Amino acid sequence: MALLPVSIARVSDQLRTNLALSSIGKTQADLLTVQNQLSTGKRVNLPSDDPSASAIIQQLQKTLASRDGYAVNLQSATGQLGSVDATLSDLTDVLQQAQTIASANVGSDVTATQRQAAAEVVKSLTSQALSAANKQLNGVYLFGGDRSNTAPFIDSNGRIKYVGSPTVLQNQFDESTLLPFEVNGDKVFGALTTQVAGSVNLAPALSAGTRLVDLGGAVGNCIHPGTIRLGNGTTTADVDLSQAGTVNDVIKSINNAGLPGFTASLGTNGIQLSGAGNLSVNEIGGGTTAVDLGIFTATGAGAGAPINGQSLGAQVTPLTKLADLRNGAGLDPAGITITNGSFVSPLNFSGAQTVEDLLNIVNGSKAGVLARINSTGTGIDIVNPTQGTALSISENGGSTAVQLGVQSFTATTKLSVLNGGQGVRTVPGTDFQITRRNGTVFSVDANGLNTVQEVINAINTADGGAGLTAGFNSNSNGITLTDSTGGAGALSVSPLNASSAAADLGLLIPAVGNTLTGADVNPIQSTGLFANLAKLTAALQGNDQNAITAAAVGLQADHDRVVLARGQAGAQLKGLEARQTQLDGENIATKSLLSNLQDTDYTTAITRFQSLQTSLQANYQLAAKVLHLSLLDFLG
Amino acid sequence: MSLIGALNIGSTALAVSQTQLQTTGNNIANANTPGYTRQVAGQVALPTQQIQPGRFIGTGVDLTGIKRQIDQALESRLRAATSDTAAADNSQQWLGRVESTFNALSGNDLSAQLSTFFNSWSNLANTPQNAGLRQVVLANGGTVAQTFQDLRGQLVNLSGDSTGQLKTLAGQANDLAQRVADLNAQIVVTEGGTGGTAGSLRDARDQALKQLSQLVDVQTIEQPSGAVNVYVGSEPLVSNAQNRGIAVKQGTVNGLAINSVVFKADGGTINITSGQLGSLNTVQKQVGDAVAKLDSQANALIFQLNKIHASGQGLQGAAGFTASNTVTDPTVALNNPKSGLKFSANNGSFVIHVKQTGTGLVTSTLVQVDLNGQPTDTTLNSLKSSLAGINGVNATIANGRLSIAAASPDVQISFSQDSSGALSALGINNFYTGGNARDIAVNQTLAAQPSLLAAAKNGSPGDNQTALAIAALEGQPIASLNGASLKDSYQALVNGIATSTSAAKTNAEAAKSITDTLQAQRDALSGVSIDEEAINLLKQQRAFQGAAKLITAVDEMMKTLLAMA
Repeated sequence: MALLPVSIARVSDQLRTNLALSSIGKTQADLLTVQNQLSTGKRVNLPSDDPSASAIIQQLQKTLASRDGYAVNLQSATGQLGSVDATLSDLTDVLQQAQTIASANVGSDVTATQRQAAAEVVKSLTSQALSAANKQLNGVYLFGGDRSNTAPFIDSNGRIKYVGSPTVLQNQFDESTLLPFEVNGDKVFGALTTQVAGSVNLAPALSAGTRLVDLGGAVGNCIHPGTIRLGNGTTTADVDLSQAGTVNDVIKSINNAGLPGFTASLGTNGIQLSGAGNLSVNEIGGGTTAVDLGIFTATGAGAGAPINGQSLGAQVTPLTKLADLRNGAGLDPAGITITNGSFVSPLNFSGAQTVEDLLNIVNGSKAGVLARINSTGTGIDIVNPTQGTALSISENGGSTAVQLGVQSFTATTKLSVLNGGQGVRTVPGTDFQITRRNGTVFSVDANGLNTVQEVINAINTADGGAGLTAGFNSNSNGITLTDSTGGAGALSVSPLNASSAAADLGLLIPAVGNTLTGADVNPIQSTGLFANLAKLTAALQGNDQNAITAAAVGLQADHDRVVLARGQAGAQLKGLEARQTQLDGENIATKSLLSNLQDTDYTTAITRFQSLQTSLQANYQLAAKVLHLSLLDFLG
Repeated sequence: MSLIGALNIGSTALAVSQTQLQTTGNNIANANTPGYTRQVAGQVALPTQQIQPGRFIGTGVDLTGIKRQIDQALESRLRAATSDTAAADNSQQWLGRVESTFNALSGNDLSAQLSTFFNSWSNLANTPQNAGLRQVVLANGGTVAQTFQDLRGQLVNLSGDSTGQLKTLAGQANDLAQRVADLNAQIVVTEGGTGGTAGSLRDARDQALKQLSQLVDVQTIEQPSGAVNVYVGSEPLVSNAQNRGIAVKQGTVNGLAINSVVFKADGGTINITSGQLGSLNTVQKQVGDAVAKLDSQANALIFQLNKIHASGQGLQGAAGFTASNTVTDPTVALNNPKSGLKFSANNGSFVIHVKQTGTGLVTSTLVQVDLNGQPTDTTLNSLKSSLAGINGVNATIANGRLSIAAASPDVQISFSQDSSGALSALGINNFYTGGNARDIAVNQTLAAQPSLLAAAKNGSPGDNQTALAIAALEGQPIASLNGASLKDSYQALVNGIATSTSAAKTNAEAAKSITDTLQAQRDALSGVSIDEEAINLLKQQRAFQGAAKLITAVDEMMKTLLAMA
């Protein structure tokens, strides 16, 4: 009802009619609004009903929608981890059974036939473990990592090979963080434990075209391109590097900053700044660009003093040119020889231009190994994904393996790790004797020696310059003895005092002419669950009690690893379930807030409805009465 | 003093009473006529006559004129209030239509669909190889695209409707202005300088002005001649009998027909701020803004999503890609506006992977996209050449579109690490095609082959990093949207319309209240009260009866005199 804020001196008929109309109209409109609120149950039907509330409503609806997404993710992840938990539980049982069989078959009261039978049981356990390893849920191989669309464990010439990925998938389960929802198959099965990790930092040379994303950064924290402030002692200039993609872009941007006498150029491994003034480089807006680029200089060292940028730590990527490796020294193209089980693959790298080409040559070879760039981007690891085969890597006539740091056996190898960790077993006194071709003999004591090089030195010392030289052959990965006495006899090594040292050093091998090439006594033994099961089977079949015990020790480690992985999966599952509970609680709070904002308060609405109804009735009655009044009725 | 004199007095009284009775009758007859102004026939005693020195006698009564009971200042305020009410009502109605187009708070609007779409990417990250989830992503992406198109279509229709109304109303306004001009001429002639006497003509003019003020906010200045000059802002619309006229000028903004109101006579701009035409101007601008914002949101979605998607890989590599965007001049740098690309690439590089399907081995090549303002900058032609130089890759340009194809059936192509944005700018390996809300659509190649939908970033088919990155796009600030995220920007648009609608509602109520008050004041002053007129009628009837009695008396007196003769 429109109130009239003026005193009306004279009331015309039109005024009365208009007034009645307008108050009835207004009351009806209000009534309709309340009716709508009551019938829809919503106070805010359109954003314009209450713009400020609707802004919050939309925000809350958005939050709820995101949480719907998280809920689906949680459901999927808990399903997957639950399945992992059940599978790992099965796997634990399998391993326990295998261990029980192993311990039951050690001792003199078990016959070879019984062991044969036990071997069959272990075989069946192996296939159970394999089926657990290749368990699927909704088409996802649980232990396949980001290659979960194909079975992660396949049969490769009777051995189990891991073709899954150790990269586990992550997803968003709340607003803030990504959490993994898979279990690393490598960790559970020890699938990729057998590896030759490149021991050399391949340090690619920095070039103008090097991408900033391929740099480790001066402080090892990558490069975060932002804005930096250059100063020459008198004036400053800000350079926005956020669009810079390569080192050259950075150098160009600095040179185009228009700061007189300030020049950037490419240094050996970093950026070089020079100029006549007192040079300084500072961060702007809390960035770390200058620090990342290794050129942060709060105040210069004085007029004309250059800023020698720190090394930017160029990383090895698939695109890195082989010629750039080792600070530009390049890589010997001779290649490496990979021996995996019975496969010997000499690989030549002369056709390779980039790291990816090299990896392709290795990964595409029959060796069945997996070469990959290590996680820190500094070198190349060669992994044996096939369980139960031994891997050794040696030179292919050059020095590539040394350059890559991937030799499995070198002169510096510790004696204690040889022969699968058995080491070199010596006895008090001399351990072996060497017969030169001229028939002379000398003996060697291997006691107290630590490395292969020390053994070589000990042999050479014992020889005393009498015509025999010991050395290390990096092409065949073994100790070599070269006889230059010119005799016609055979060069040979024989144990003394019942010592196993010569055998453990791989020297009990017939010489060919003047040279005795020792065997590779440090092939990288494959560990892992399937390898140990295979070992147990072989040991049972071979009726070899020592081997059964050794396999049982390995299986214990596997069992522990599976139990640990199961614990981790369980913890992850627990965390996600807690997240689910939390999400439900948050949803209730949000929905109640939403309801407060959006829904009709029925008490208020109904009260208002009643009062408007009364008001409308009063309006009707008033209109009917007032509009009927007329002087004409009273005039004769 | 004579009897004739007395008779004359009676006759003047009769005449005046009759006229007053007519006026009263007219008032009663027009009691419900809209815009009618109550008239009062004023009377005055005729000058006295000296019959003897120092003795004066009355000579009867005369009409002073028939005056309209009107307050011009009030009329002018009422007109201004009418303009505002009409404007607010109109805005409320149109903005309400715009608001309902967005279907906000329904749980099924674009905002909810964007949530569903991004959620489906997040869910795809659970099992990237799941064909069903891939279909869901594509279907939800299609829904978002369709909703963008529908929303834009509806807004464009609304804009068209408002243009239609603008044209109709401008025509009406022109007619009304012409009517005021015509009435001006008639009033000047009729009144002949007597001032305010041409009641019905003035009522008609006031009514025309009131109707005009519903359309346009006008100010009036009455001239001594009785004509009214009408101004819009400071520009004259009607001067005396001259109407400058109102017409509509066609214009286009952002591909939308935006029409403005101009003077018909000289095409000069009319600065209309209120009235229905004024509000239509505002509404058209608001709809235009909404369309532009929707376009920039669609553009941001397309560009940002494509940028991530172009660097991702599907479950398998593709046999080839054909750009969906056309380059008009393949010899200019890709960031040159002459290239005709909707999205601009920047200096950077991308990696193209060629996978041997037999061995699974991948060969990668870094492709530089130099766009740093040098003559050696990458053009479509040079990009084609560098791609064609890669082993296993064929690159061709047909009709301005770059095609990258595997050179043999044994290899597949994929891309990664595009820091230049060149792939998404050219429309290669895109999720969305198009460039705004009008033509946004899901890439048909993906729809036909969902396995090419890129969820992976590292080349592993089971990887989900691209899916995660796209899911995270939902909340990411986007520079082209002034640092707002896609949904925040959309919600700001909806809230902006909502605030305008709500303000229009409040304005409409306030303006109506003011108009009602002013109208009540006018009705109080100028409206007809039947009761009052009934009393007047009695009074005038009695006066007439008295005058008639006088004449009868005089007549008898004259008869008596004549009988004496």
